[in-house]
Formats: sequence, C-alpha cells, structure tokens
Amino acid sequence: MSKWIPLWLHKLGSPPTFYRFARTVRPWAMGLALLFGVIGLYGGLVLAPPDYQQGDAYRIIFIHVPSAWMSMFVYAMMGVSGFVALVWRIKLAEVVAMESAPIGAAFTFITLVTGSLWGKPMWGTWWTWDARLTSELVLLFLYLGVIGLYHAFEDRRQGARAASFLAIIGIINVPIVHYSVDWWNTLHQGTTVNLFGHSKMPWEMLWPLLAMTLATKFYYAASLCRRAGTDILALEGGKDWVREIAQAEAGR
Amino acid sequence: MSAPLPQACAAMLRRDLTLAWRRRGDLAMPVLYAVIVAVLFPFALGPDLALLQRIAGGVVLVTVLLAMLLALDGMFASDIEDGSLEQLVLAPQPLALMLGMKILAHWITTALPLLVIAPLLAGMLHLPLPAMPALLLALLLATPLLSLLGAVLVALTAGTRRSGMLLALMLLPLCVPVVIFAAGAVAAAQEGLPWFAPVAWLSAALVLAVVLSPLACAAALRIALDA
Repeated sequence: MSKWIPLWLHKLGSPPTFYRFARTVRPWAMGLALLFGVIGLYGGLVLAPPDYQQGDAYRIIFIHVPSAWMSMFVYAMMGVSGFVALVWRIKLAEVVAMESAPIGAAFTFITLVTGSLWGKPMWGTWWTWDARLTSELVLLFLYLGVIGLYHAFEDRRQGARAASFLAIIGIINVPIVHYSVDWWNTLHQGTTVNLFGHSKMPWEMLWPLLAMTLATKFYYAASLCRRAGTDILALEGGKDWVREIAQAEAGR
Repeated sequence: MSAPLPQACAAMLRRDLTLAWRRRGDLAMPVLYAVIVAVLFPFALGPDLALLQRIAGGVVLVTVLLAMLLALDGMFASDIEDGSLEQLVLAPQPLALMLGMKILAHWITTALPLLVIAPLLAGMLHLPLPAMPALLLALLLATPLLSLLGAVLVALTAGTRRSGMLLALMLLPLCVPVVIFAAGAVAAAQEGLPWFAPVAWLSAALVLAVVLSPLACAAALRIALDA
C-alpha cells in the first residue's frame, strides 16, 4: 500500500503515462464538472430563497465565490508545481505549472467581472480600491506576468523555469488575497463560508455554492488534462510514442 | 588564487561606476524623463494650487518609479552582450554578493540623481514643506527596494530579447505595496499625522529585500542563462 503511491507518482511523471492518464481522466472530470455545475446552478438560481436584503442579486455569488476560490487554488497549484519543476527538474511539473496559468487567469478575470457587476447595484460602484479587490487585481497581473515571461523565451523549457520562479515569488500574494478582508476593514465583506466551523449562511444557499465549487474544481482538472496533454504532445513531438499516436489518428 | 571578498566587491562596484561614468549622458536620461512627466501634470490637470498640493507626493513617487523602470532594463544588458555576466557566474566569489554590488552601483547611478531632483519636482507641484522630509525618506527607502525587486525580474528576463513591457507587467504587482506605504507616509505627513508606521514597514521590507533579493537574483540569473 505505502509503496505503490510513490511508484505510481513516479510513473505519472513520464510524459507518455501522463498523456494516457490525462486522456482517461478528462471526460470523467468534464462530465462531473457539468453535472455539479447544472445541479449547483439549478440549486442556486431556482431553489435557493432570495436574500432578505439583496433580493435576487446575491445569486451572482454562485459564480463569483467559486471562481475566486479557484483563482487562489490554481495559483497555489502553479506555485507548487513550479517549485517541483525547479527543484527536481520534472518536465511534467513545468507543463502543469505553465498550463495552469491561463486557467487561473481566466478564473481571476471572471471573479473581477462578476464582482464588479454585483458591485454596481449593491455598492453603487463598479470598482473601488478596496484591499480585496486590489489584491485580486494584482493576482491577475501576476498571472499575466507569468504567461508573458513564459512566452518571451525561445526555449520553452527555459521559459517555463523562469516563469515558475516568478510564480514562486508571487505566491506571497495568495495569503494577502485570502486574509485581506480580515487585515483591512474596507468595503468587501468578510469570510462567510467556513470549511471547518460554523458558516454564516443557511444550508439552502450553502449547498449550491459547494456544488459549484466542486464543479469548478473538476473543470480545472479537465481543462488542465486537455491543455497539458496537448502541450506534452507538442513538446515531445518527434518521439516514438507521439508518432504512434499521430499515426493512429491519421489511420482513422 | 581568487581575490578576497572585500576587494572583489570593491572592484565590482568600481568597475560598474566607472562604466556608468564613461557614459554620463545615459545617466541624465531617467532624470530628464522624470522632469518631463512631472511637468506634464500641471498642464493636464490645470495649475490649481489645492489640487496640485494634494497629488504632489503621489505624482513624484510614481514619476520616480517609472523613471527607475526605464533604467532597469539596462541593468545587465551590456554585461550579457559582451559575456562578462557569464564570467561573473563562473567566478569563485559568491554570485549573490557580486550581483548585490551591481545592484548597489545601479541604484547609485540611477536612483541617487532622481533623489536629488525629487525635492525640485515636489516643489514645482507645490508639495507643502512639512511633508518634504517624509517624501525624501520614503523615496530613500523605496528606491533601493525597487532596484532590488527589479533586479530579480531583470535577471529572469536576461535570456529574452524583448523585455521592456514585460518587465513593467512583472514589476507592477511587486511594487504595489511599496507605492502604497511610501504614498501613505507622505499623505500622513501632509495631514500632520504621525508617519512613522509606513516608513517602518518600508524599512522592514528593505531589510528583507537586501538579504533575500541578491540570492533570488542569482538563482534567477542561473535559470535564465542556463541554455
């Protein structure tokens, strides 16, 4: 039991094994993402009662909050796999770190856009220089910097290593985003959902939110499998196992 | 037989300062740029005294930051071109220490002239006199911080050809807290409040950066040059 997990992880680090693994996992992850997404959106938009103060406008949290969590989660994933890539020089870790960046940037962008859509009727402004909003914007710039640095190099692996280093430097921003509502008492509201304690939210509103959280997690997994798989094919182009796949595709 | 560390550091510093002095014209560029940007503000916003007084501190800070960003690009450029940076990587002396000296030389050649010109810019924008020490102290702490943070990013882009805009994009997230605390000190001084706390934060960040940033810079350079 204790031996096969590290062995399996080592095997997974090899590009052909990962490619096959990603191809198997992707449809399942995508299916689960769609399933939880539909359930969560139905629960959130139809079943959950309107808020006593905000009416129906609060329902944007079912997109906003899971995206915001994912923007931090994906950055942490990128930072950790970037660290693994730099320390152990595993090619797959570089691929995972670099292919996570556009997904995370998209989640951050969605968070900012939905937040400002909600902010207009509720706070009376699209944007304010509140600590949470500013640190989330900085997170978006960090993602863009990582993507930009990765593409500035001609050698892709070298670019991936440099961008991983930048991602590790920028990881300091993730706790700042998370704790910004506790450290600075400005406009954005504080923590409502608490994983290990009492959440200040009724169950009818909480369960669709959790379903959406699962949906975004599975979507990330599916998207990462697709992107990393494609990237590995491009990186390993010319090797035997890629040629076999290409010939099998051409034969169909 | 390698030179002892203090001598090697002094030689590095002397070399970079001499090189900068031989091309004095380049040293004036960031200063000119800062003057131009600061002069444009009254034209764009109108010469309303109260408005200029209120924004003077922030405008000078951002102007100095942009001028430093302009000069940052060239920190390692000529050394990469003629291969002396690779020799530095191979040298027996610790790379982080040598890079620290290079950063110091860069700060002396770009940030010090800006620090000299900053009171003039602030005066042109009618910054109230009591806020001037706060602005200068904030700049004195913020500019080395920016040099140190920027050096890591410049080292990361060392292997690329087009890096100007990319550098700005990468530096922005890192310099946001620096600007916030520096501007906070000036704003507090302008309102007659105690401005020690933001300056203490800046000092703490500077101490941290002085220790960590040359190490990070060395690591980044090894990644970027490792082709």
